[in-house]
Amino acid sequence: MELCLFLGCNTPAIRPDVERAIRATMPVLGIDLVDSDNYVCCPAFGAFPSTDIDSWLATSGWNLSIAEEKGCDFVVQCGSCYSSLRMGREHIMHHADQRARVNELLEPTGRTVTGKSKVRHVSEVLYKEIGPETIAAQVKKSLKGLHGVVQYPCHTLFPSEVVGFEESARAPKGMRHLVEALGATVDSYSRELQCCGGAGGFMKSTPEQAIEFAQSKFDAILAETKADFIAVSCITCLMHMENVQNTLNKRVGEERYKIPVFDYNQLLALCLGFDPKQVASITNVSRDAVLSRIV
Amino acid sequence: MDLQQGSIKDLWKAIYNTGDLHHCFNCSTCLSGCPASHGDPPLLVRNLARMVILGLEEELLNSDTPWACVSCSKCEEMCPMDVKPFEMILAIRQWQSANDETRVPPSIVEIYKRGYTQAVGVNTDLRDSLGLPELKTITKNPEQLKLFQEMLMKTPVVSANDYMFGG
Ligand code: SF4
Ligand code: SF4
Repeated sequence: MELCLFLGCNTPAIRPDVERAIRATMPVLGIDLVDSDNYVCCPAFGAFPSTDIDSWLATSGWNLSIAEEKGCDFVVQCGSCYSSLRMGREHIMHHADQRARVNELLEPTGRTVTGKSKVRHVSEVLYKEIGPETIAAQVKKSLKGLHGVVQYPCHTLFPSEVVGFEESARAPKGMRHLVEALGATVDSYSRELQCCGGAGGFMKSTPEQAIEFAQSKFDAILAETKADFIAVSCITCLMHMENVQNTLNKRVGEERYKIPVFDYNQLLALCLGFDPKQVASITNVSRDAVLSRIV
Repeated sequence: MDLQQGSIKDLWKAIYNTGDLHHCFNCSTCLSGCPASHGDPPLLVRNLARMVILGLEEELLNSDTPWACVSCSKCEEMCPMDVKPFEMILAIRQWQSANDETRVPPSIVEIYKRGYTQAVGVNTDLRDSLGLPELKTITKNPEQLKLFQEMLMKTPVVSANDYMFGG
């Protein structure tokens, strides 16, 4: 199966090792990735979706036209990109007037959009298309003996009728099964479904409260689980859950928060035998304690 | 008789023209899972819905809290009355941006100028060292970038604020 890789802004610019992990792992599991040449920002919810419908949907339409031209669906890792593209597609498909306006704006650029290409999250492709059993059969190394917790990207859960793929958005299972397929034990905890809080303007507008909000999550992980690592599948969750641990340590004056955070495709890449220097080297919370135990 | 009151009463039509908004019964479900409701001042979606319905124009224009939303859409999922509170937040921001240019997010200027909010594709040494291919970005494709910019120039936010985009 061929999928069009939509990278967004943060992954290729700030965490290209995650991009490397995605490009390395998906073909091994039978997914060929095609690049999205000349793509633009998704658009981020804080950008054109916060100014007007025309600029929002024209930008979505520009991106969607790239996958449509290649005749395949998009695969996306960033939660915001995924949700923005899906919401854009939803508007374009279900509102004839908006579709007509977007195509009018796109026309001089030589593009058109119908909505025929779907937008899929990488964790959905791994969970539903490939499946944990196939993944378990492919891995060469294992996370056996390690405990992890999972962070579901909010943008893949809510609103479930637009972005969802889990049987229940209230009790998602995908990330858990995917991490278990790599041999790790996944611990549950009370704040598992609590948002990381890293997207949008929360951190920018009220950083004090946003950091406390994250602290409540990390305190629950420390008190209720034996987590050696946190598995995420969204670039914002990854960067925020690392950064906030460092901020918290400075506040409490000790190295209390130091749980390594990995994008799922990074863990997968490590278990498929790829070089940690290429697929999991960019971080500011040391991953050594986990890397040394993957055998 | 204050005739202006009539237009303010219908403010919801200018901001968020959906009948579902009026089904909001102040239940506060939208607050319970909202990360930004922990902020100071808190983002209170329920109150914003009420402000739109009641037509509290000035308070809405001056409210910063819609911009603290993290777009998690939990409110959208949980609202029992299909108000679609996250879409309402975006609609309030759109209305604020259209009525107050200082609300226009600077990120749209970045996107207009180079296609992205970040400098995508310029970290070539790092990408090389990770074994990654060169990205065919729009920043490096003047022809496509021009078409993208010309398209945006026809949209309300860019045409109304063209001075921000280098004329
Ligand atoms: S959850 Fe829906 S009905 Fe309840 S207060 Fe919020 S917007 Fe209104
Ligand atoms: S989408 Fe925004 S308003 Fe709704 S719950 Fe999330 S942060 Fe709160």
